[in-house]
Amino acid sequence: MRRPVLSSISAGRAASAFTIAILILVATPPVHAQRGRGGSPPAPRAQAPFDLTGQWVSLITEDWRYRQFTPPKGDVGGLPLSPAGRQAANGWDPARDEAAGEQCRAFGAAGVLRLPTRVRISWQDDRTMKLETDAGTQTRLFVFGAPAAPASPDWQGVSTASWDAPQPPVAALAFGPPAATPRSSLKVVTTRMRPGYLARNGVPYGANATLTEYFDRFDVPGGDALLVVTTELVDPEFLSTPYWSSQQFKRETDTSRWKPTPCTAR
Amino acid sequence: MRQWKAAVCAALVAVGVTVAGQAPQGQAPAAPAPAPAIDLSGYWTPTLHEDLMERGAGSEIADFGGFPLNDAGRLWALSYDPSRLTLRQHQCEGYLAPGQMRALGNFRIWEERDNDTQRLIAIHVWAQTTEGHRVIWMDGRAHPPAWAPHTFRGFSTGQFVGNGLAVHTTHMKSGALRRGNGVPQSDEATLDEYFVRHGDHLTNVTVVTDPVFLTEPMVRTNDLARQPVDPGAWLYACDDGEQVLDRPDDVVPNYLFGQQPYVREFSTRYKLPLASSLVGAVTMYPELGARLAAMTDADTTALLSPAPGRRPETSKAAAHEPSDGNIHVLAVRNNVYMLVGDGGNIVVQTGDQGAFVVDTGAGKLSDKVLAAIRTLTPRPIQFIVNTSFHSPYTGGNAVLGAAGQDPSLPGSFFVQSAPRGVTGFFSDPLAHATMMAHLNVQVRMQATGAPPDAVPADTYLDDRRRKFHNGDAIELFYERNAVTDGDSLVHFRSADVIVAGDIFTTTQYPFIDVKNGGSVQGEIKALNEILKRTVYRRQGEEGTYVVPGHGYLSDEHEVTEYRDMVVIVRDRVKAMIDKGATVAQVKAARLTADYDTLYGVNTGAWTTEMFVEAVYASLKGGR
Repeated sequence: MRRPVLSSISAGRAASAFTIAILILVATPPVHAQRGRGGSPPAPRAQAPFDLTGQWVSLITEDWRYRQFTPPKGDVGGLPLSPAGRQAANGWDPARDEAAGEQCRAFGAAGVLRLPTRVRISWQDDRTMKLETDAGTQTRLFVFGAPAAPASPDWQGVSTASWDAPQPPVAALAFGPPAATPRSSLKVVTTRMRPGYLARNGVPYGANATLTEYFDRFDVPGGDALLVVTTELVDPEFLSTPYWSSQQFKRETDTSRWKPTPCTAR
Repeated sequence: MRQWKAAVCAALVAVGVTVAGQAPQGQAPAAPAPAPAIDLSGYWTPTLHEDLMERGAGSEIADFGGFPLNDAGRLWALSYDPSRLTLRQHQCEGYLAPGQMRALGNFRIWEERDNDTQRLIAIHVWAQTTEGHRVIWMDGRAHPPAWAPHTFRGFSTGQFVGNGLAVHTTHMKSGALRRGNGVPQSDEATLDEYFVRHGDHLTNVTVVTDPVFLTEPMVRTNDLARQPVDPGAWLYACDDGEQVLDRPDDVVPNYLFGQQPYVREFSTRYKLPLASSLVGAVTMYPELGARLAAMTDADTTALLSPAPGRRPETSKAAAHEPSDGNIHVLAVRNNVYMLVGDGGNIVVQTGDQGAFVVDTGAGKLSDKVLAAIRTLTPRPIQFIVNTSFHSPYTGGNAVLGAAGQDPSLPGSFFVQSAPRGVTGFFSDPLAHATMMAHLNVQVRMQATGAPPDAVPADTYLDDRRRKFHNGDAIELFYERNAVTDGDSLVHFRSADVIVAGDIFTTTQYPFIDVKNGGSVQGEIKALNEILKRTVYRRQGEEGTYVVPGHGYLSDEHEVTEYRDMVVIVRDRVKAMIDKGATVAQVKAARLTADYDTLYGVNTGAWTTEMFVEAVYASLKGGR
């Protein structure tokens, strides 16, 4: 008769021990959070999970006709334009853009990586990554933390960067070692862009558009390294749904083909 | 108290693992741990914001921009007539793996785990369009050998790398790299993919490497959105039927080089230079504009036909057969096996009766062939069939024949009255297998002075020979004037396996031996005879297996592509003959330029030029 009682007590203690273990685990902050207490967390540059720096050339293998050439006015392909967006695209007038000094409308943050271009990525400082394009000679700055907002919107907007890894909504509990965290992507959120074009034939995006990009690097068997920029553009003014696309680039070790050119409206 | 300590220790150990998993700053990182698994399971729908036309209605003719096609790839696509899809065998073809991921419709991804260990065995991807079922093996298994069958989705293995899933795929069939306008992908292509999740957004990166048709890898990306509920649409019924009545079966819609009538349609419509989409890899890069600016009209015209007078390209294909000096056995279906490694492929059927062997290889490894057969059955070889008299199919006759015996013969009339001394064959049936072939095989072998014990004695003359053996109905079909005048197809009806011999290979142009009765029309007819007997299982693949004389185990698809090739080359040669061209002019025109990177050979027993000469001679001779 005693054995069930003992078993019950034993089971109760074991359950308590388990509960305590869980509480300790749950109460233990993640390692990256602990670092902040004893000193500055590692700079974003030091935290970089992969190397994006160097020169990359775009591989125009999708929407080829729309990207290598200026499509006819009103030819918007698969872009999910709202009625206002379609109306604006139908009103495209490159001469008007030239007269207004707005030749760079297709070279803004939401459009420039769709163009045939080379990009150079480097660290401007430990918190700021710089992306330059030779098409249109544009520069984008990805700032980890709070970027300084310009006085007025410009073509490249304000970009906030972070190393983005999947985060569980609650901590996973299991009888075993904790799950490892997947490697991060570089996430860049860009706002305050000057209204521009998604394509050179005047397909518009507006001042309130938000561009979210994920930069990933893939090392392909055989030696090539690929940079893939997965993009979501939300534009309440000119798009009916978020516009998703992915642009791919190949790493170049020969940097001699870097040829900065000015923006053109046609 | 003990439990408290144990709990604290357990917790600290767990925390310690977390810390150890991250390299301290300034120290070299430890060996990389396996990347964590990410969850791809669920329902996904492509966004289709890019390449909408290709992925919807289909691509425009001659729009090859953004594809790093080599000369062969461009010419292949220019010769392609979309009405080829009206042919019965093409109507239900599945999508190749790279195209599958770009298809319209819904996707479902799920994991397969071992119930006892919970180890991840595979990740499955089901695509609604063409009912494409991909299996990505995650258990570390090896890819099949080069002689294993190909499928539209290929054979995929994966591992988690970085923040995604990396997948490597081989053994894909040939097909469309781009839908609708003929941009080809060969059966030599491989695919590397990456799947990365960003919340409910899945990015699939595809990298196609194709030494036959591409000058560099083709990189594309596909964006898919996660769906919270089952879209409920998963099927894609397809059954072939008659789309063009009374069309002869040796018609394959195609355009002669330089005669694609719609080649300017795309460039004219969009006011682009004709060359803009035809210049291969540079179409992907910022240098395209400069390249086009430097081109003359003559440069553009030259893109529409093979550059004349050049030596033919040679095959970029990997070997489909082993060369390690060993015999390799591939189980085909039921009790039928394919043995590779000694020249032509050998087929062995086993059962309660003695082994039934089709072709005996080149004879260089006959002892190993015998050893391999003995691993399949303890019974001796009872029957041998030769599909051709050519040596890659008869070289092992003497050794394999001598190792067999035919217990159906002793005491029979045939043994008692056989013309002993002529073949020496039936004189002691328990010391030899019975060898069968069309009569012309016997005649040709005797004419070449083959030893009597290597010559089939049991011959047939009519169109069909039947045999019921080891529980299966086996039919031999005489294909007159195909590769030679003595070719046979062998059909194991229950196993549904057809042995094609030299009539069909995956490695070379057909060895049309005009001097020994072969003809291009007979070859086309023979290939169509195979196709009259094949039944695909689903979406144009599997079902009836076809064992080629050389190369990997095939099905209807590979035979169809081969038939198409022979017909198209015939059409081109015939068009030149009709204009009075000499054989030298035909050879200089490089009429096989779009197939040479797959089949081309410039040295050895059967070269590209020999094939063209054979087609020319055959047609000039009215066959």
